[in-house]
Amino acid sequence: MLRNTLLAVYGARWTVLPPLVGISMLAMLIGAVVVAPREVVEGEVQRLFYIHAPSAIAMYLAGGVVFFASLAVLWTRDLRFDALARAAATVGALFTAIVLATGAIWGRPIWGVYWAWDARLTGTLILFLIYSGYLLARSLADETDEQAARYAAVLAIIGALDFPIIHMSVDWWRTLHPQPIVARGALPTPMLLVFFVGLVAISLLAVWLIALRAEAEGLATRVSGLRAAADRREGE
Amino acid sequence: MSASLAVIEKDLRLLWRHRSGWLSAATFAAITVLTYSFAFDLVTDDVRPLLPGVLWVTFLFAGTIACSRTFTDEVEQGTFDALLLAPVPRTALYVGKVIANLVALLAIEVAVLVMGTILFNTTLVTAELLVIVGVGTVGYVCLTTLLATLGSRVRSREVLLPVLALPLLVPLLIAGVRATGVALDVSAPSAPWLLLLAVFAIWSAVGSALLFPLVVER
Amino acid sequence: MTAAIDAHGLGKRYGASEVLEDVTFTLEAGSRTALLGANGAGKTTLLAVLSTLAAPSRGTASVAGYPVDGASAELRRRIGVLTHSPMLYEALSPLENLRFFARLYGVVDAEARIEELLRALGLWRRREEPTAVLSRGYHQRVAIARALVHRPAVLLLDEPETGLDVEGVALLDELMLRAPGMTVLAATHRVDRIDVWADDRLMLERGRVAVAVGLS
Repeated sequence: MLRNTLLAVYGARWTVLPPLVGISMLAMLIGAVVVAPREVVEGEVQRLFYIHAPSAIAMYLAGGVVFFASLAVLWTRDLRFDALARAAATVGALFTAIVLATGAIWGRPIWGVYWAWDARLTGTLILFLIYSGYLLARSLADETDEQAARYAAVLAIIGALDFPIIHMSVDWWRTLHPQPIVARGALPTPMLLVFFVGLVAISLLAVWLIALRAEAEGLATRVSGLRAAADRREGE
Repeated sequence: MSASLAVIEKDLRLLWRHRSGWLSAATFAAITVLTYSFAFDLVTDDVRPLLPGVLWVTFLFAGTIACSRTFTDEVEQGTFDALLLAPVPRTALYVGKVIANLVALLAIEVAVLVMGTILFNTTLVTAELLVIVGVGTVGYVCLTTLLATLGSRVRSREVLLPVLALPLLVPLLIAGVRATGVALDVSAPSAPWLLLLAVFAIWSAVGSALLFPLVVER
Repeated sequence: MTAAIDAHGLGKRYGASEVLEDVTFTLEAGSRTALLGANGAGKTTLLAVLSTLAAPSRGTASVAGYPVDGASAELRRRIGVLTHSPMLYEALSPLENLRFFARLYGVVDAEARIEELLRALGLWRRREEPTAVLSRGYHQRVAIARALVHRPAVLLLDEPETGLDVEGVALLDELMLRAPGMTVLAATHRVDRIDVWADDRLMLERGRVAVAVGLS
């Protein structure tokens, strides 16, 4: 029963996801620009928060997908999980870049600098470097190379396990970033509402992008495999 | 067990035979420290606060250079296949390489500390500092050696290894620099940095030893 | 007779290309089989799967009574492998290479066994030189010694004649191809020499068994 429902949802993903993403993104934009009240201290620039914070959550979510897909690569040696891991890493790198960019734009008027070696900023930058390193390493080898896929999976797992240590070490080192305000429940209700709309929109966008990428990567792998097979037939 | 010991002994023997190859990493470390010493002397009278950073950046760069060729010869000469064919645990292949890299890098690091003592007019060869450097070296050598297995898989790996390794080694860099700073009396003991260094060393040793067989298995 | 090599429905794919498809055959203990086929027919891959260097994508195989799937130490102890590469440490001497591999396999009378092989292969005089300075033919001779040092029951050879002179080929025949008591499966392009040593023939074509002569 559950299985059939899941399969039905999966089968309808290309008809359901794009309009859902479009509507929720529009709602997020309207919410951030029109509905949410002007923040008293920080002013208009605070509206970036409605993209910044959900993107930060999406970047961790994508990291989680990379981690579990990589475990699956090692466990099953099925290259479809490798395609999923690569797709999630690409999307994760994208949202990490968005987090860094919106953070820098916000930081300039509020902190007076675009960049500071603060714990959260440093951690996010390192996450971006890990994502990039993973994608670079994976792209240098053939996508049908099963052993290279396992190597990349090990790299992703090391990165995922390393990340809490990185987080702790930079935390001990210094922190300047405002504590996550949502968790403290200090956000006024309209702002909180817009934040949750943004969270839904960005999450759906991330899921849609990962699904698209994974499908495309999977197809590319199949094409190169078929091409290799055709070359073999021709050579005989 | 005897087979594992044979692998370790073989790697140490190869280390000695290829000692001239390791000189490039050692020379690189020496040049780096010299360049830092010279460049910083141009802008500041007191270089001591910069020393921990100088030392650890040198160690990590020399380390990634030295480790990047770990498996290259084995793969090119086909001996890696011979090792995989033999009835020997895969982890032993990893441990042999880690021990050889450790020996080479510890030697390089002691040389750098002696050189730094002379150049920066600060005693760097102390028991405390040797412990910090030793623990940190275990941490980064274990991880970098695992990452070096891709030497057999992709092109342009010499550039790739530092790109992959250095972000992952950030906790080690922070803890190493801070612990060294405390040991040299240039920074306050703000957190248990040596403990973090030790935790990282254990994590990278255990994690890498467990993951290595999964990478090399065909 | 018991089966020394038993393959059933063996398949191996790299990416989407099938290198081996449904390979089934049985080699009896003590038999000598020439593995034939054009370039890219799957000979090297078949040997890699049988020697546990590559995992089969489908099917099962056992060598010397042990399945290749588990790739157990027991199986590895019983096979001797010669590939395109001599698989020797260039920086070590032939003697050091052989001592190392003898220890890996836990050979009890290592020194005596190594001396026997080095003398038989005409390498005794050059045993202390670095392997790097030896010629291609001598590399192959040391590789033969390496493959034999642990007295394997099954030999899996890929183009064993590579680089050998007339004398070297004679030694290869004596020690490996025609040595009594060993099961031999050797990929070769030297069709002229097959009659000298092989009892049976196994021909691969596009990853499938095309012809099997003399096999059960």
